[in-house]
Amino acid sequence: MPMLDIKNLTLEIDTPMGWVSALDKVSLSIDTSEIRALVGESGSGKSLIVKSIVGAIPERWRVTADRMNWKGNDLLGMSGNQRRAITRNEISVILQNASAALDPSATLREQIEESIPSYRLTKGWFWQRRQQRLDIAIQELHRVGIRDHNLCLSSYAHQLPEDICQKFSIAMALVSKPKLLIADNPTVGMETTTKVQILKLLTKLNKTQGLSVLFVSHDLLAIAAMANTMTVLYCGQTVESGSIEQVKRRPLHPYTKALLDSAPSFRRDLPPKSPLSCLDGTIPTLQHLPIGCRLGPRCPRAQRECVKMPATRHIHGHSYACHFPLHRDKP
Amino acid sequence: MNSLLTVSGLSYRKQKSGLFSNRELFRLSPLSFELKRGETMAIMGENGSGKSLLAKLLVGVLQPEAGSILLNGEPMCDSRQQRRFSAIRMIFQHSKDSLNPGLTLGGQLEEALILNTNMSATERKRQIENTLVKVGMLPEHQYFYRHMLSEGQHQRAAVARALILDPQVIVADEPFAALDPSVRSQTANLLMNLQQQLGLGFIFISHNLGIVRHISDRILVLEKGKVVESGKTEVIFNWPKSEYTKRTIQAHQELISGQ
Repeated sequence: MPMLDIKNLTLEIDTPMGWVSALDKVSLSIDTSEIRALVGESGSGKSLIVKSIVGAIPERWRVTADRMNWKGNDLLGMSGNQRRAITRNEISVILQNASAALDPSATLREQIEESIPSYRLTKGWFWQRRQQRLDIAIQELHRVGIRDHNLCLSSYAHQLPEDICQKFSIAMALVSKPKLLIADNPTVGMETTTKVQILKLLTKLNKTQGLSVLFVSHDLLAIAAMANTMTVLYCGQTVESGSIEQVKRRPLHPYTKALLDSAPSFRRDLPPKSPLSCLDGTIPTLQHLPIGCRLGPRCPRAQRECVKMPATRHIHGHSYACHFPLHRDKP
Repeated sequence: MNSLLTVSGLSYRKQKSGLFSNRELFRLSPLSFELKRGETMAIMGENGSGKSLLAKLLVGVLQPEAGSILLNGEPMCDSRQQRRFSAIRMIFQHSKDSLNPGLTLGGQLEEALILNTNMSATERKRQIENTLVKVGMLPEHQYFYRHMLSEGQHQRAAVARALILDPQVIVADEPFAALDPSVRSQTANLLMNLQQQLGLGFIFISHNLGIVRHISDRILVLEKGKVVESGKTEVIFNWPKSEYTKRTIQAHQELISGQ
């Protein structure tokens, strides 16, 4: 049984033009000790999925789903307290833009000590507990590869470089020993060496402690290096999902193919300075979403049928939603 | 030879002057390079290695301590600022934030023309329309405000603003960092096309080694304000010499091969 199982999640937002579905029947599942990548460009609703998993959605928005289960318990049906307990103890989120996500008015020591749950403290007296909090904090910082813990703990977020803040927020997310770690764009704008360090750290945690990771990003290189399975999102619709090898070797949806082609590093045969292949146009805004398959206006294979939403089809654990997938001949 | 931009012995020092002593905060050691017409040079380096500083020195935002910048063999001195600003143009990292929200796109493009040329109003309008078409937008886009454009169009607008004075060199500070994959490919294609048509020299700063490898001819690697390596892209990617370059390229290869 998958740990997190989401089927047909729909999120509707109230705009002056009426209700707009920012997420349209998104399906996603994460197994125990799996690294799943959630790929999509900005505005595709990646962060909205993250927010609806942890329940950080404004109450006036409508969230509906056929199934949204955490270890068999329905997340949408449970009370606020139960849900908060799950997001406190079992799910952790690393937000994007780490230095901005941390509290600017408190030192990092105060922040990480505050996030240590009380059940990790075993000693009785307050001075012993205070010392233990500090020990746990230092231990977690060492685990994510911050060597100079004194400098880090005594600083404010703005005094440290972005990559240290990023590592610090990973440490803060791991302090409650979660089962699932949701990393929202953890490597954006990073140098390659730092990026590799962080990817290695996440892979190590996954291997040694069985931590499941939902890796939200549009950096295909990083995803291909660490994830087991990937789900591709376009404009709030899941277009394709399957294991990394399957998707990379034979993408079935035109959007996935365009996304893979846009990374020049994947193609060794590409001569330098040759034009890169890409789709025309950009992601439509929420106010101007096309009906049916939302890739329609940009898709090179679009036909008249594409104004209807295609059903999701499955081949050997590889699912896609397209009327004219790439493995069939051009209609 | 026929080099477009020649930089020799360029150095810069940032100091904090106290009552009794001057404390040195950052030092860009003398560096020299040449850029030919139609050539692309990438600048790589860690955060705080002086990449953006070098870009600012080239476009003339900061004054160098010593050294000279020659364009087509002529020195770029302070007395001919207009010529310098129209010959070397810059593209900023966040193209959206670098556009003025209170002015139409045409208004912003016109500002550059008013300040740097003696064109009449009709000539300016024609130039704006030509430039917009050149970067793949419509002439009508000059009446648009920032919020009416999409992300890809912001990037195109930034390129249009760089091109409007018919420059010879474009300096871009992380032009691809904040972009989505498909828009990134579009921008890279646009820049490569324009370079071929107009013979621009192009200097850009980037962390994305895939793009660097694809579009640059030469690479300059900076570390703590010093040039540690420079040369042809293929040579540096295959036989990196300095410690930093080795580390970065090895990390990049690891990512590609997926280990």
